[in-house]
Amino acid sequence: MTLFLAICVTVVLSVSVYLILGRELKEVAMGLFLLGHAAHLSILMMSGTPVLMQEQGGAIIKGGPVLGVSSHMVDPLPQALILTAIVISFAVMAFLLTLLVVMHRRADRLDVNDLASEGRPQLLTEL
Amino acid sequence: MISADLIPLLVATPMAAGVLTTLLRGWIPAQRFVGAVSLALTITMAAYWMIQTQTTPTFVTQSGGWKAPFGISIVFDGLSGMLIIAANIVAAACFIHSFGSISRRHERGWFHPLFHMMLMGINFSFLTGDLFNLFVAFEIVLMSSYALICLGGSRQQLTQAYKYVMLNLIGSTFFVLGAGLVYGMMGTLNLADLARIVAETQANGEALPPGFFAVGLMLLFVFSLKAAVFPLWFWLPDTYHTCPIAIAAMFGGLLTKVGVYTLMRVFPMIFIATEIRTESILTTVLMAGAGATMLLAILGAVAMRNIRRLLALVLVSHIGYLVFGVAVMTDASLAGSLFYMVQHMLVMAGLFLCCGVIEKIGGTDDLKNLGGLHQKAPWLSVLFFVCAIALAGLPPLPGFYGKLTIIREGFTIDRPGAWMLSVIAMITSVLTLMAMAKVWALTFWMPPREDAEESPQIGHRPPRQFETAPAYVGVVMLTSAAILMAVFAPAIMRKAESSVISLNDPEPYVAAVLGEEAWPTTEFAGELEHTTHSLVHEEDHYE
Repeated sequence: MTLFLAICVTVVLSVSVYLILGRELKEVAMGLFLLGHAAHLSILMMSGTPVLMQEQGGAIIKGGPVLGVSSHMVDPLPQALILTAIVISFAVMAFLLTLLVVMHRRADRLDVNDLASEGRPQLLTEL
Repeated sequence: MISADLIPLLVATPMAAGVLTTLLRGWIPAQRFVGAVSLALTITMAAYWMIQTQTTPTFVTQSGGWKAPFGISIVFDGLSGMLIIAANIVAAACFIHSFGSISRRHERGWFHPLFHMMLMGINFSFLTGDLFNLFVAFEIVLMSSYALICLGGSRQQLTQAYKYVMLNLIGSTFFVLGAGLVYGMMGTLNLADLARIVAETQANGEALPPGFFAVGLMLLFVFSLKAAVFPLWFWLPDTYHTCPIAIAAMFGGLLTKVGVYTLMRVFPMIFIATEIRTESILTTVLMAGAGATMLLAILGAVAMRNIRRLLALVLVSHIGYLVFGVAVMTDASLAGSLFYMVQHMLVMAGLFLCCGVIEKIGGTDDLKNLGGLHQKAPWLSVLFFVCAIALAGLPPLPGFYGKLTIIREGFTIDRPGAWMLSVIAMITSVLTLMAMAKVWALTFWMPPREDAEESPQIGHRPPRQFETAPAYVGVVMLTSAAILMAVFAPAIMRKAESSVISLNDPEPYVAAVLGEEAWPTTEFAGELEHTTHSLVHEEDHYE
């Protein structure tokens, strides 16, 4: 399970780095979101492998009708962390995409070069 | 005495103001009134609890009644108290300043709700005692700051905002990853519990989990990005250049300090705890970062022509002092760093607000087109002068005390390279004075240049009488706060010293958060090992 997740994280991470290095701002944004997903996936690993609750001296936890009776549990807290992080990154994603739309309306193109060309500081020596 | 359970009110009050001002959107006087009441309430409450810390040094409330390492602890101690008071005074000054400087269009937009939500996030990150909760608090601050940067929506602002969002998104990703790894490694996210585990492992002579320093380095990257430490400060000058001045002052005064605060809270207590300090690579990284930040940023500032960019670079270079104090990590240097941080918040925001008035009167922040303002605005030149020499650290003003303490500790501590940082700090002081003198001379003292452009900004008109009055009130608030701080410097310094003791010796802090018996002593440290949930959890992973 850990190996499988590790491979997933590696793949997602490499795709995200590829996208971030792209020239279009849309690509960069998508790369950033994927980077977040890679981070979330690797936190999922922190839950560890499922353990028998009884071996640890705990009771068998009865789930609802959907979950059924389960004797194997993973630590649920990392999943709670991921859930919070996903919600936050979702909000940031919405904001960033809106920003892209507005920028596109203003400038008709979205290129990394646009970020560099603007606002070069003036120096005192140029007086 | 009011119960410690009311401490979350320091977060809830700005949040309520944020919600109320959202509902009152478009009705500016009501929004202003709500904001003023909320700020006054927050400052009063924080001051009240600050006075109470004389008797009880650490107030803790466990949210939801969950016992400490399982729930989220909200902790109010001297360190958070001082910073909350300073932050809210700065916010109040920027808030009043905005009445006279921000355009109606911006104010009718979402300025008020965003402002209070950002303040809520700032107060929250000073108060929380939980690493993941700190991440959430950071996100609240960042979300509001993203929107505040875009306020107005000019082309340049949007481009800068895109850069800012991108960088902080990377930072947040690493933060959440770091927090997750800390949980996987140590089995807890509570800062006090983390400090206890590190101390316990050291006391038992065991090795820390593999990758502990790597996670420390990851979090160092995140906090350095927020605090704008070299080489992660390149985003800052561009960002502060474009937004309305009251917002730039808020950012300059508060946002970077939140990053420094987290460095201060997390590293001396956990990742560079006393026993592992000499061998840790993190100390070296912090010290190198501090030196490079101080020197390189101030060299940039001396060359700049726009006041805003110049101030932003001076701000960055003085972050170097704070990080220097944190990196030296003796009790006195941390106290000096805290003292300097409070002073820096007040003075830096004061200078940005002065710059706002200069822009109002002179129509630009370009030093080429300014000049002779001491005749047009004599009081402004006095206020700017006070803030400028406070920033440079000339003796009667409080910057001197903080710098003196930090530099002295750099010379006395027995660590290779620390004395070089002290020398760099002194050179930086001289260069700061030079940069500030340059601004003061070109803006106020010398007559306008002959080749100055007549109307530097399209649509600029000289301000009507009393139009800049609220702006002046904001500047006067901060300047007088800085002067008061100079008057009461010894008392504030003593308070700072007693506030930072718990960073190097976290025992009282841990005892207050986790309960009296939690701190390991050498006799029964062995027993505790088997009873704590956290180590049981750790065994799951590493065996």
